Amino acid sequence: MSDPGSVGIAFWILSAIVLISGLLVVSLKNIFHCALFLMLCLTGVAGIFILLHAEFLAAAQVLVYVGAVSVLMIFAVMLTSNLARKKIVQTNQNALVAFVSCVAFVVGALWLIKGTEVWKFATEALPANNTMTIGKLLMTEFMLPFEVVSVLLVAAMIGAIVLARGEEA
Amino acid sequence: MEFQLPEINLQLMAPEIFLFLWALAVMAFDVTTKRKSSSTAGNLALVGLAVTGVIMVFTDQGRGFGNMFFNDSMAVFFKVIFLAAAFMAIGSSFGLTHTRILNHRGEYFGLILLSTVGMMFLASSSELISLYIGLELTTIPLFVLAAFFKDDRKSVEAGIKYLVVGAFSSALLLYGLSFIYGLTGTTDIAQIRSILAHSAVAGFNPAYQESTPIMVMAVLAILGGIGFKLALPPFHQWVPDVYEGAPTPITAFLSVGSKAAGLVAFAKIMIMGLYDLYDPSKAPNDWGILVGVMAAAAMIVGNVLAIRQTNIKRMLAYSSIAHAGYVMVGMLALNSLGLASVGYYMFAYLFTNMGAFAIVALIEDRTGSCEIASYAGLSKTSPFLAISMTIFLLSLTGIPPLAGFFGKFYVFAAAIKMAETGSGLTWIYWLVGVGLVTSVFALYYYANVMRTMYFVETDSPLKVTMSPMAVAVIVIGVVGVVVFGLNPQPIVQFASDMPAALGALLP
Amino acid sequence: MQYYLMLAALLFVIGLFGVITRRNTIGILMSLELMFNAANINLVAFNRYISGDGLTGQIFAIFIIVVAAAEATIGLAIVLLIYRNWRGIDTDSYSVMKW
Repeated sequence: MSDPGSVGIAFWILSAIVLISGLLVVSLKNIFHCALFLMLCLTGVAGIFILLHAEFLAAAQVLVYVGAVSVLMIFAVMLTSNLARKKIVQTNQNALVAFVSCVAFVVGALWLIKGTEVWKFATEALPANNTMTIGKLLMTEFMLPFEVVSVLLVAAMIGAIVLARGEEA
Repeated sequence: MEFQLPEINLQLMAPEIFLFLWALAVMAFDVTTKRKSSSTAGNLALVGLAVTGVIMVFTDQGRGFGNMFFNDSMAVFFKVIFLAAAFMAIGSSFGLTHTRILNHRGEYFGLILLSTVGMMFLASSSELISLYIGLELTTIPLFVLAAFFKDDRKSVEAGIKYLVVGAFSSALLLYGLSFIYGLTGTTDIAQIRSILAHSAVAGFNPAYQESTPIMVMAVLAILGGIGFKLALPPFHQWVPDVYEGAPTPITAFLSVGSKAAGLVAFAKIMIMGLYDLYDPSKAPNDWGILVGVMAAAAMIVGNVLAIRQTNIKRMLAYSSIAHAGYVMVGMLALNSLGLASVGYYMFAYLFTNMGAFAIVALIEDRTGSCEIASYAGLSKTSPFLAISMTIFLLSLTGIPPLAGFFGKFYVFAAAIKMAETGSGLTWIYWLVGVGLVTSVFALYYYANVMRTMYFVETDSPLKVTMSPMAVAVIVIGVVGVVVFGLNPQPIVQFASDMPAALGALLP
Repeated sequence: MQYYLMLAALLFVIGLFGVITRRNTIGILMSLELMFNAANINLVAFNRYISGDGLTGQIFAIFIIVVAAAEATIGLAIVLLIYRNWRGIDTDSYSVMKW
């Protein structure tokens, strides 16, 4: 088990990618570029998951977020935005107030996280075979949420079809 | 690491499984019958809810799926509320089946049932992951239902606003819950509580009687998330727009079912999980006073802004903010009376609000208007509607002997009893005072609707033809309000089992 | 581990800022995804360093990914409806009030 206080060079590179592309997602003027940077940012998060020994989660992140959600976003941008290539102001009049309060929040949060020494660090390592363990857990201990989430997906699928389909059909 | 198949015990969740399958059946039926018969899907949905209720009578209480599923008396009580709310929402939707939801009747009723299934899972979850999934299964169908009038701009706007607010509050809630997991190392609510009570290293330090700053941040994020769901100020701005734009029966379902679901989530996380952060015997009430301020703000904001509204749906939206405030007063009274009073209040609110919205839906179907001014002369053209509406409004105000009065009475009584037991709880008296004063404001705007119905003369009074199903829902509401107002004892008895469900942890 | 938590806090605030300030509805949905990801980083980091012999945090994160995807789907379906009704998806083209 490595020292919880230290991180390697890979962490700094990945967090730089995540944060910079995250900032671009919320500040760029072209919404299509935002979607592309969202993909980059989410891929960076997948890298962070690998650093944290969550290989299955990283794969799921790439498949679901980068593969599905981002592509869906790009589709929606293409379908709806006839302004995809124009530069328009993308922030509203709340920007200054929001910026100040967000900075205040994050400074407070960072200070709290840095100052907190109450963590009860574990001594044993994570299970070696990440994917197998997750699979077994989903089929045993976490079977109920696993089943209920499938109900949720049914509901979401029906809902999306109802909303998106044309009335003439 | 050991893997064991937990004891599954499907019998405990028979009502949920049945309702889920029935929802699929309703949708499949509507598709296969080529959508010919106009009210069959709705009737089927009503039958499904009734059968689910019957199944619940024969369902035992207990744990299933390891520790994931816990059908305790609190879950049973709230499941009854959810089923009744869905029943009345579907009953008041029949006016829409010929017109605005013509092409998607099956999906409309099916999604209401699926949302109800989510609420039921939420009520019996005893672990953060399944609680979160239940919460999302509750809200995701509601996003769709709010936007169900696809060519009505107001409805679509209500849908996207509700979705953004719902997802935002989920993200806030999850961010807070992630710290709870980090501080305690578990997502099981009972274990979280025992770790916080006994361990000095976690987020709460019993030796100093105060939370660590990181725990405060987590609690703030969770309160923000649940505050959005319950529409407590300062997280209430979305409510009037969403309530006005959504289809009226869905608004009714939102204001009762979804609110009760939020209350269950609050009770599970804050009271069952984080009770030791608010223990009146250990003086600083970390989150208690904060929720108290939010509740007071809800009562003031809701009642004062409701006065200015001319649209009855917006008025009832603000009034629902105020009622969320009253309920939270009862929630803060952590004695055996507190949770029971919350249960009774929600039961009274169920009949009152669902009934009132059923009338609003009926009148909207017939006239297309939700303006209070268009209710002028209602007492002449349809005295039944006017009298029922008056009963509902009086109950919302809290006039004895209707159910709404006893709801407020029990809530305030529980709060005062709480204030007497603990030290440093004098702020609860102030809270009760705010509640009493704002109730007077409430009388003003509710009376305005009654005055319009009875005393305002108009050249073109409303002519409302009634459908049998709408009448049935309104009658259920009136009977509920009057009977449980005159004789509140059965519900109080039923509700007073709930504190025991919290593991006998309350004084 | 604190560094991971700080990364998550920064990402969360970036998303928060986006939700408040974006005018494009899809932009708001993207910012929401950033906030969900921040919570996921927290959970996985805690899982790595705190929980020891268990993967509860990672399982929680998987469920969050699934639910966030479902929510995004519904969100984009409603965005299509907005576009059909207004021919534009900027928030102030269809709303007089900001949430």
